[in-house]
Amino acid sequence: MRQVISGGDTMHRRGTAIIVLVLILLLPGLLALWLYPLPVDDAGDRLRWAGRIVGVLGLSCLLVNAALSSRLPGFDPWFGGLTRLWRLHHYIGAASFVLLMLHPLLLAYGALPASTGAAVGTLFPPLADLWVWVGWLALLGMMVFLAPSFAFFGAPHYQRWKGLHLVSGAVLVLALIHALPLSAMLPPVWAWSIWMLFGLVAASAFAYRALFSRRLARFPCRVSEVKPLASDVVEIGLRPEGSRLDYRPGQFVYLAHLDRELGIGYNEQHPFTLSSAPQEDGLRLGIKDLGDLSGALQNIRPGAEVTVEGPYGDFFPPDLDDRAALWLAGGIGITPFVGRARALGHLGGPPAQTTLVYCAENPSRSYYLDELRQIADSVPNFQVASHLFEREGALTADYLDTVCPDWRRREVFLCGPPGMLDHCRRMLRRAGVRRFHTEEFDLL
Amino acid sequence: MNRLVYTVFVFFWGGIATLLIVHWLSAPPVRVPAELPTFTLDEVAEHDSLDDCWMAIRGKVYDLTEYVPEHPTSPRVLERWCGREATEGMETKGIGRPHSRYAWELLEKYLIGRLEADRH
Repeated sequence: MRQVISGGDTMHRRGTAIIVLVLILLLPGLLALWLYPLPVDDAGDRLRWAGRIVGVLGLSCLLVNAALSSRLPGFDPWFGGLTRLWRLHHYIGAASFVLLMLHPLLLAYGALPASTGAAVGTLFPPLADLWVWVGWLALLGMMVFLAPSFAFFGAPHYQRWKGLHLVSGAVLVLALIHALPLSAMLPPVWAWSIWMLFGLVAASAFAYRALFSRRLARFPCRVSEVKPLASDVVEIGLRPEGSRLDYRPGQFVYLAHLDRELGIGYNEQHPFTLSSAPQEDGLRLGIKDLGDLSGALQNIRPGAEVTVEGPYGDFFPPDLDDRAALWLAGGIGITPFVGRARALGHLGGPPAQTTLVYCAENPSRSYYLDELRQIADSVPNFQVASHLFEREGALTADYLDTVCPDWRRREVFLCGPPGMLDHCRRMLRRAGVRRFHTEEFDLL
Repeated sequence: MNRLVYTVFVFFWGGIATLLIVHWLSAPPVRVPAELPTFTLDEVAEHDSLDDCWMAIRGKVYDLTEYVPEHPTSPRVLERWCGREATEGMETKGIGRPHSRYAWELLEKYLIGRLEADRH
């Protein structure tokens, strides 16, 4: 019984956080609706009213979204982990962008009953109407920094996307400068109070992320060990130089190397899952060569300096720890499970039955398998099954029935490459398992 | 999601381009004939209620009686400007902020004459 109640806690907390967020997003819009109801007679008035409302809503989305992107450790579990929070950020960003594009269009169309000149004049007034032109600058800035986020010109390059996203800081300021003097939906005192408050929170978040997090949030570490697990996979051991990182198994960190000899990605942050147990002195990260930077990190040497920032993620919510679990891992997606298994080794096993099904192409791709089997042999309640695609084909429900007969009633955790995730999701849904936990690093 | 945002992006520029083209191709607005009647401020002052509201703005005289019920704010805000030189009201809205270009264009619909500058 306790499991059911505690299992609801995570969902409940996430639900509460999202409701609070939506209320904050809608607050200025609702206030404007209340103070300035829809005009009844004139179609042009109605359009211009709608143009103002979408402007208010778009601006609150823009400012709140900046606050959400601060990546403050400890904030993301409220939203079910950083990857979920990023997805939310993406959706709110889309809403903001769409609303703020509709804003000038609706205002201009609303002026059409007067004349096309009035409509064009609304969009492109004399230069003396400075605030309108500031609004244009903000909107064009938004188009520049959001074009890669929404893949306008194909899949974005990670670093270019990240660099362009800094333009958002200028856009926030320009949008506020535009909105404050022109605010027609809210009385000036209310408009100033609300937008200054939202703006202050957004600016603090932006300043923290862009300026202060380098010094405040990054833990300096030194590479203590580099262990090859396959031709293109290494496990890097890190020794903290200062304070220790407090984390839970399965969480991830943003790693940046400070080794100029690697040639690529100096001081660029990329997310990697911790494969170590929190009980260990140092940190360990399993890294597969999947891109420029993860490729360069294969060659990092002991003694190199790095920084880590985190921890992030909520893959194993603590209130689900005592439930029977099925872990489905694929390829390098094994890393969060390795961290959890190593922690179980320290704790003497999980409180409830836990089965790991490790899917890999062939034995050479089953990284960590020997160590995982050793842990399974040394603690109760923990089993490991190795599923090889080469030998058994794709994972099936029948296979799970063999290695873990009660899997449909267990808490399912899933981590692996996109193809495997899609396959497992379909299989789980067909089997009636609607709720499962995944951690995806597809941040764009 | 990406496709939706891109669609609105294309719609946005398409909408603006259409507006510009329509404006460019449409005939210039009909100019107000020069031979409009002239009124003095005293004559304007005779129409100083919401039921009969004239205003003098930037040297022109407007009969805003029909517009009063359509004004976004309470009619009382307008009442104090009826029958008067109301350029200040139009330029400041009473809060130091001018009316939009849309509002100025709308005003021209209610033009009835010119203000005789030197006679009262």
